[in-house]
Amino acid sequence: MSITATKMLARDWRGGELGVLLLALILAVGVVSGISAFATRLQSALVQESHRFLAADLVARSSRSMPQVWLEEADQRVIDRATTLTFPSMVFAGDEGMQLVSVKAVSDAYPLRGALTFSEQPFGVVLPATQGPAPGEVWLESRLFPLLDVSIGDEVSVGDASFKVTAAARTEPDQAASFYGYGPRLLMHYDDIPSTGVVQPGSRVEYRQLFAAQPETIADYKEWLESRLEDGQRLLDVSDGQPGIGSALKRAERFLLLAGSLGVVLAGVAIALAARRFSERHHDYVAIMKSLGATSGKVNRLYGTSLVLLGCAATVVGCFLGWSIQAAFFTVFGDQLPVQPGPAGIRPYAIGAATSLTCLLCFAWPPLRRLGQASPLRVLRRDTPAENRRTLGDYALGLAAVTLLMWGYSQDWQLTLAILAGLAITVALGLILALTLLRGGRLVGMRAGSIWRLALAGLQRRGTSNAMQVVIFAMAIMLLLVLVLVRTSLIDEWQTQLPEGTPNHFMLNIGPEDVQPVDQMLRKQSINSEALYPMIRGRIMAVNGIELPQTEDRTEDRRQRESNFTWSDTLPDGNKLYAGQWWEPNTEASLVSLEREFAERMGFDVGDQLSFVIGSQTLEATVSSLRELDWQTMRPNFFYVFPPRLLAPYPATFMTSFFLPSGDKAFLNEFVRSFPTVTVIEMDVVVEQIRTIVDQVSSAIELVLAIILATGSLVLVAGIQASVDARMHESAILRALGARRGLLLGGLFIEFAALGLFAGLLATVAAESSVYVFQEWVMDMRYSPTPSVWPLGIGLGMLLIAGLGVFNCRKVVSSPPVALLREL
Amino acid sequence: MIKVEHLQKRVSMPESELEILKGITLEIKSGESVAIIGASGSGKSTLLGLLAGLDEASDGRVVIGDTDLSALDEDARALFRAKHVGFVFQSFQLLPALTALENVMLPLELQSQANAEDLAQRFLERVGLKSRVSHYPRQLSGGEQQRVAIARAFAADPSILFADEPTGNLDTATGAHIIDLLFELNREEGTTLVLVTHDQTLADRCQRRFVLDAGALV
Repeated sequence: MSITATKMLARDWRGGELGVLLLALILAVGVVSGISAFATRLQSALVQESHRFLAADLVARSSRSMPQVWLEEADQRVIDRATTLTFPSMVFAGDEGMQLVSVKAVSDAYPLRGALTFSEQPFGVVLPATQGPAPGEVWLESRLFPLLDVSIGDEVSVGDASFKVTAAARTEPDQAASFYGYGPRLLMHYDDIPSTGVVQPGSRVEYRQLFAAQPETIADYKEWLESRLEDGQRLLDVSDGQPGIGSALKRAERFLLLAGSLGVVLAGVAIALAARRFSERHHDYVAIMKSLGATSGKVNRLYGTSLVLLGCAATVVGCFLGWSIQAAFFTVFGDQLPVQPGPAGIRPYAIGAATSLTCLLCFAWPPLRRLGQASPLRVLRRDTPAENRRTLGDYALGLAAVTLLMWGYSQDWQLTLAILAGLAITVALGLILALTLLRGGRLVGMRAGSIWRLALAGLQRRGTSNAMQVVIFAMAIMLLLVLVLVRTSLIDEWQTQLPEGTPNHFMLNIGPEDVQPVDQMLRKQSINSEALYPMIRGRIMAVNGIELPQTEDRTEDRRQRESNFTWSDTLPDGNKLYAGQWWEPNTEASLVSLEREFAERMGFDVGDQLSFVIGSQTLEATVSSLRELDWQTMRPNFFYVFPPRLLAPYPATFMTSFFLPSGDKAFLNEFVRSFPTVTVIEMDVVVEQIRTIVDQVSSAIELVLAIILATGSLVLVAGIQASVDARMHESAILRALGARRGLLLGGLFIEFAALGLFAGLLATVAAESSVYVFQEWVMDMRYSPTPSVWPLGIGLGMLLIAGLGVFNCRKVVSSPPVALLREL
Repeated sequence: MIKVEHLQKRVSMPESELEILKGITLEIKSGESVAIIGASGSGKSTLLGLLAGLDEASDGRVVIGDTDLSALDEDARALFRAKHVGFVFQSFQLLPALTALENVMLPLELQSQANAEDLAQRFLERVGLKSRVSHYPRQLSGGEQQRVAIARAFAADPSILFADEPTGNLDTATGAHIIDLLFELNREEGTTLVLVTHDQTLADRCQRRFVLDAGALV
């Protein structure tokens, strides 16, 4: 029977030699695969969310119905399909009720993605619908009920046909993002269109053919369709969905990538430390084996195979851990997600396995490989030098592995370089500072009391290895602080973006004569509203005397197009001046301020002369400034802002937004009755949805943070363990010579606390620098220093390292010195 | 037969070279028991290391049977040790993570012996540790640990046994028992015994003695 790697592993496991190494490997695989699976599923939820906003996976849009051959091809490919037709029309009720509405006719299968909702009474409880109105029935938007003076069960007519009102239409998944210019919604069945007789050739209508199937099927079909598109036909896919929650999820994803990358680095360091200690403790083992006849090749084969076996075991357990982490999250929070996240697939686990392999090969194998060169003479002379010196090659290999893993994981050079830069600063500063401070300690130590002298002498005696330890501790603490800081500012920013009381309703088309009464009614109800913004519909025609293209192709950014104008003497709330100057109050100059991204898309800049048409009149204005604003604040936002005096001659309506608690929805009935011409848009469902998702993603981030903290602690434990033997040996001798328990523990506490102090200090400096780089360059967030992190970093460093250090060395006072000396 | 010719060992010091062994020449016959004695620092353990092929000489050669150890590299010497050499050390050198049985099995496993466990059991019985096979070294007394080491040394059926201060870590009574055991097994197995010791009584039990003083035989 020969000695096998399995046997050796089993013996090492029993002897407690493998614990930290195996744990570090499992955590590396677990963190990487877990976060990766989590991000993949989150990404799939995001895509589904986008599909939900399209009500399908792919949409074909045209002013004519789609060619029959498209539909036959879709059926042949087993693709689900539905049709919608949208057009403006008058609706009549009784003798006097009539109103311009936006009619949407939908087929049975609508919607293919997302949910249609209705209520049994106007502004009543929102319920999900399995399909739209049945033939012969219509659903009306809540505010149409008072406008037409109808109730559920009454009849209304559209064109030549009459319909029974059976429900209030509440939300559609593909409600257009822009709600300006639309009348209230009337939802009917697609098959009823012919009977109304309102759709004639040349009518202003929009057909949408909706398709849904497996992603590959849709991709193939899309390719097939693209070559057959004619003028006026356009395909819409995920990129046109633009969900409002997109940016929150995108940032969360980047945070998760950051966390995962840091997790990989931390686990890599832990693996390297654990492997080094493992190899150090195995030098005598190998010396004995070699004295008994084991060759270098045999030793290498044994340890190599052991490592592979260890890697396999850690990969399996780590992947299971990763799977559990993401499954736990989706089990707890999945029900609250508006969509069901798809499967993560095999890729996250393959990444986990690759991480395990790379870590083993680059971090664990170099110290173990040198075990084969251990001298058998150590069995006679313990002082024979062990072959454990690291070479430059080892460090280069480690650095290459860290870079490769981070890049492979995040696929983001900026992020990888930001972290590497932070680590490089820590290492360089760390070595200089630690060596200087530790050398300084010697002078102080000679004048201090007994415990201090012991501790400081220890610090100085192990100067080089202590400096390395400080750097390792500082790296771990820095990475943890970076994560805590980014997480805090991310969550803070989300919360400030949508604080309690965020406006969740918009009011449009408020006539000048209604401004005051509307304001009074809101005040009477104690409803806080944003300022009332005037709104004038106009059209951009030319820039610097050159006409813009006339096209209705919405994919073309630079074209003549209609927009809403407003006026203001001051920079609107939540806007930030990006370029140019804001005008003086009461100016009579012909100026206009543009939203930055819109201006970029149109190719406009400060100083350009723009020509507009409002009604039948022309208007010229010079671009005086560009503004930046956040479209997700639920405030009225505008592309164009003019000085008040310039727009005064034109007829305007007003708009505002306000917060209405869900319990006060009945107020809307009363309001719409009092102001029938005012359009109220309910955004409460969307705001609530965004807030729910932000809460869920925040919880996910907390969970990931906890896992990374565990990995960081493992690095600290591995780092401390690396030096425990030498310290224990010295302490055991001191104890044998009669040193008190208090002296030894006190000395160790001070020694470790001093290492923690240096490490904490370094980590805090490096973390602040890294967070600055990361937030400004990678996350597109504003950086502000966090004073609270200084006491946290330094205090945490001291307490954690002192506590862990003393805990790991506790045996020195609890076991007889002779037993310790024999063991070490 | 062990044949040593003009064996030298030098080590480089920061400012000079230290000569630990100064041209040792000696012969040990098969089955013979010899003691190498001398004061601390006289070079006894260095000589033992060279005789056993654990170390490389600076000059001179060690020939065991037909094999010139000085001409072999470390891996070839390891294979030679596996086949022909057994060790008993002052500090026992048992692996703490292995039980007494597993420690004895180790050299047999390294030689891929099929009946490693049976052989190890038998030798542990012979050294009187039948009831302690599953104990770890930390659960054994010094004398018991050395008995495990002796069982390990003989289990691999070596032709030469090197013992480095085998009683150095033991009290007199236990030491005496261990020595009895060592000589008894040595006689039964017909092994050549090379023993390094301070202990004159122990040295007297060997057939021949070599006295080392400052790296030279006297």
